[in-house]
Amino acid sequence: MVAVLERRSLRDFDFVLALLAVAIVCFGSWMIFKAQPTETYWQKQLIGLGVSFIVMLVVAFTDYRKLVDYAPYFYAIGLVLLILVVIPGIGMKINGQRCWLKVPLIGQFQPSEFVKIPVVLMLAKYFGIRRDKTLSLRELAIGIGILAIPAALILLEPDAGQIITYLPLLAVVIFLAAIKMRWVIGLSVLAIVMIPVAWTIGVRTGKIKDYQVQRINAILYPDTVDPKGYAYHTIQSTITVGKGKVYGSDTDTETSQSALKFLPEPHSDFIFAVTAENTGFVGCIGLLLAYLFLISRLLNAARQSPDREGMLVVMAFTGAMTFQIFMNVGMALGILPVIGVPLPMMSAGVSAVLATFIAIGFAISVKMRRYVN
Amino acid sequence: MKFEDLSQNLNARIAAIQIIAFILLAVLGVRLYYLQIVKGDSYAERAEEQRVRRLPIPAPRGAILDRNGKILVDSRPTYNVILSHDALKKGDVSSIVQPLADGLGLDGDVLQERLEAAKSSTSGEYESIVVKENASVNDITWVEAHNLEIPELRVELQPQRNYPLGKTLAHVLGYVGEISKKQLEDSKYTERGLKSGDIIGKDGLESTYDAVLRGRDGYREVVVDSRSRIKEEIRVVPPQPGQDLVTTVDLDLQRAAEEQLANSATKRGVIIAMDPNNDEIFALASAPSYDPNVFSQAGNSKEGRKMINALYNDPQKPLLNRAIRGRYYPGSTWKIPESVAALQQGAITTKESHIVCGGGIQVGNRFTRDTSGNHGTPDLPTAITHSCDGYYYRLALKMKPEGLIKMVEEFEYDKQTGIDLPAELTSRTPKYYKPIKEKTGRWGDIDTVFSSIGQVYVEVTPISMIRAVSSVGVGGKMFVPHFFKEAKAVSAAGDPDTPEYQPERPAIGYDLKPPKIIQMTQEQNDYVLKGMWGVVNNGGTAGRIKMANWEIAGKTGTAQNSSIGSGGAKDHAWFVSFAPAYKPEISVIGLIENSGFGAANAAPAVRGVYEEYLRKKGVNFDDLKPEVKAVAKR
Repeated sequence: MVAVLERRSLRDFDFVLALLAVAIVCFGSWMIFKAQPTETYWQKQLIGLGVSFIVMLVVAFTDYRKLVDYAPYFYAIGLVLLILVVIPGIGMKINGQRCWLKVPLIGQFQPSEFVKIPVVLMLAKYFGIRRDKTLSLRELAIGIGILAIPAALILLEPDAGQIITYLPLLAVVIFLAAIKMRWVIGLSVLAIVMIPVAWTIGVRTGKIKDYQVQRINAILYPDTVDPKGYAYHTIQSTITVGKGKVYGSDTDTETSQSALKFLPEPHSDFIFAVTAENTGFVGCIGLLLAYLFLISRLLNAARQSPDREGMLVVMAFTGAMTFQIFMNVGMALGILPVIGVPLPMMSAGVSAVLATFIAIGFAISVKMRRYVN
Repeated sequence: MKFEDLSQNLNARIAAIQIIAFILLAVLGVRLYYLQIVKGDSYAERAEEQRVRRLPIPAPRGAILDRNGKILVDSRPTYNVILSHDALKKGDVSSIVQPLADGLGLDGDVLQERLEAAKSSTSGEYESIVVKENASVNDITWVEAHNLEIPELRVELQPQRNYPLGKTLAHVLGYVGEISKKQLEDSKYTERGLKSGDIIGKDGLESTYDAVLRGRDGYREVVVDSRSRIKEEIRVVPPQPGQDLVTTVDLDLQRAAEEQLANSATKRGVIIAMDPNNDEIFALASAPSYDPNVFSQAGNSKEGRKMINALYNDPQKPLLNRAIRGRYYPGSTWKIPESVAALQQGAITTKESHIVCGGGIQVGNRFTRDTSGNHGTPDLPTAITHSCDGYYYRLALKMKPEGLIKMVEEFEYDKQTGIDLPAELTSRTPKYYKPIKEKTGRWGDIDTVFSSIGQVYVEVTPISMIRAVSSVGVGGKMFVPHFFKEAKAVSAAGDPDTPEYQPERPAIGYDLKPPKIIQMTQEQNDYVLKGMWGVVNNGGTAGRIKMANWEIAGKTGTAQNSSIGSGGAKDHAWFVSFAPAYKPEISVIGLIENSGFGAANAAPAVRGVYEEYLRKKGVNFDDLKPEVKAVAKR
């Protein structure tokens, strides 16, 4: 199959998209080195990039429709992994979260990063059939169900941050699956009303934990929160970003915010703050423009999809990635509460890079097959 | 869109998602602009503030030396265990109290109190809190071993004031201590740049010459991490030590004086020795004394505070510097300035000075006795030599109260002497009492009679007495008694191109002011001197301390006891003197509280000081006649 496609498809292979993604990961690795020069994160990241690139090529040259067809199997495998990870003794506990699986030879990985892929495929399979009617309530319920099962398992880990990155997958698919606009508006209004209500109830009943309340207060009322307490991450991150000024601060690596341990998790959750400290406004805007370009490129691929399934797959991934970028950078810039969401292609973490490159592989695959039908 | 299914305006929906994505990224861009461009400088400053710390390097305080360069006070290095303030901000204090108390052998309650006080102080001036002073080698090892658990803990060098002489010279040297809250509100201190936690001179020369002795602290500027661990040193501003103070004290004479007091009948009293030619003080002893190390080293511990309280509450008043703050009836020593004043005022002349003694005087229906018998009709020198009270009763009546007031003013008994020690008291004289001061009430002849022999209305400080009497030996010159001889130079510190540069502090010498002159003719001066010479050398009241080849001029005094000290029934014994009588090099005053006769108690003590002076001059005592040795009734 690969051979049949090869000649014609090479011309349609989106090199720009692939190279842009590789460039961002390389830039990210440099920043990881700046954040933790004495650790091996940056080397692991580059090795992960090599592996991810190969996997991306494999996915790109595979017909995504075949993969969508097999979606229920992938979905089932994904659920098994998520069940395995919460079983004590199999899943590894790090920072109070049991979200890692250790595999001999490969090392440890985070199933919740990868399960997004079968979820997207499953949603695409279910909503990708030709339709002439608007979305029914039953369809909506099934869509929610597809997402809810893995989400519930991830909640057991517990990894609230990861669940938030799953929500846009469903939102985008539903939005594009001919949901009535008045429903969209209605749901938006409902959400705007329900969030404060849910918040109040959550706080009253104790379902929302005190540290979560504090982290959100740190954003809403930055001056009233103890700077050494829960607002610490937010304050230190904004200081680190601000100190970068236009071109980045000339602080040497031994006295940077991350080297002095003022900035927590500099190589993963707060990699954007490190980027801001080292490269300044110029570097940060450059990175945001690179993301913007990448997103445009992905949306372009979605538009050129030969079928609804391909369009939904690419759009779901793109929506989730955009949302994740906004969550992470918003947190680093002190406008969103601290939630452990990695910055796509920048944060150290081979699982996340691999998952992102598989998604990009799908986009390239979809784009390559635009003339097939 | 390549696929034919264009239902539900799919294109528009994708475009909507695209627009939302762009808006989200634009929001981030605007926020970035605000943080990095608009507020960049302020955040850079905050980052700098939290990572750069200034750790003070305390400057050593200048030493205090005697006139021959012997060390009286110095500083020795000690180590304090300190806790960075960051450790307190994190939350509950009690969680660190227990390990600290166990590890360093401290009282947990005291430590808890100290940390909570530091925590509740909202001002950021305390970068660190002293957990333990005088840390031992074991303590330092413990701190280093627990660097991982409590990285906010550090060991810091702290020079500590050391008084190697202990109780010797304590009242003169004074002591140092942490600046008090009250002093911090006083512009006198704040103008000098003193801040909370600074160690300053609290009493004695330490206080008077604090600005001379004090050095300028330096600091280390270091980079610390989020747990206050020192990562890198940016620069060091070296401290500039304080100036060494050379005093006029002669430690050997001081020791001799203190020994005399220690061997005296009540072990309470004062001896002052000084050079009458410029009022440089050789020795100033006040007994009982105290150990200033208690104040400089133990002030922060429980036992230390107990010891200090005990000193304050001791009925013997060891903290009182009796030489400048003790006021005593002068008794017959008062007759010396009185004699000079009588000659000045013309109440008597060198030609005609005979006055009847009569064994006392009848005023109204009361007869006041001459305590040493009937002396006939002596002239002035004889009256001095034999301390004839009757003579002075009648002389004072001749001089009238106005004459006595003139005398007080002439010899400056109504002022401080100006000695360079803090909190000197002024003598109390008839000038102080209502009938004289406000011209109300009655001042009868009997009051003048009492005043004439230094009782009831006259209470003087020993320092004012030696100053006044010494002037008779040097032609009426009254200088200001002082300890300051020289402040030694200190070289410059720091890099001359930086604002922290401290230029050289040049040496300072003593600025000897022109003396107050007691106006008298040579004849009048010799006339009084003759009497004083006779006190020791011509069968006078202190004849028993006569020394061969060393002519002492002096005056004994026996004063009815006052309430100073534990207040025994016996009289205070005085002896004020200088020697050699006609060309004095040294004057010495002795006061032994509640010991009885001046001649028997104070004069031998004073002689003990002269013996030490002569020994230092190289006079061999074995050559002295045996009958003049060991005459003191001890």
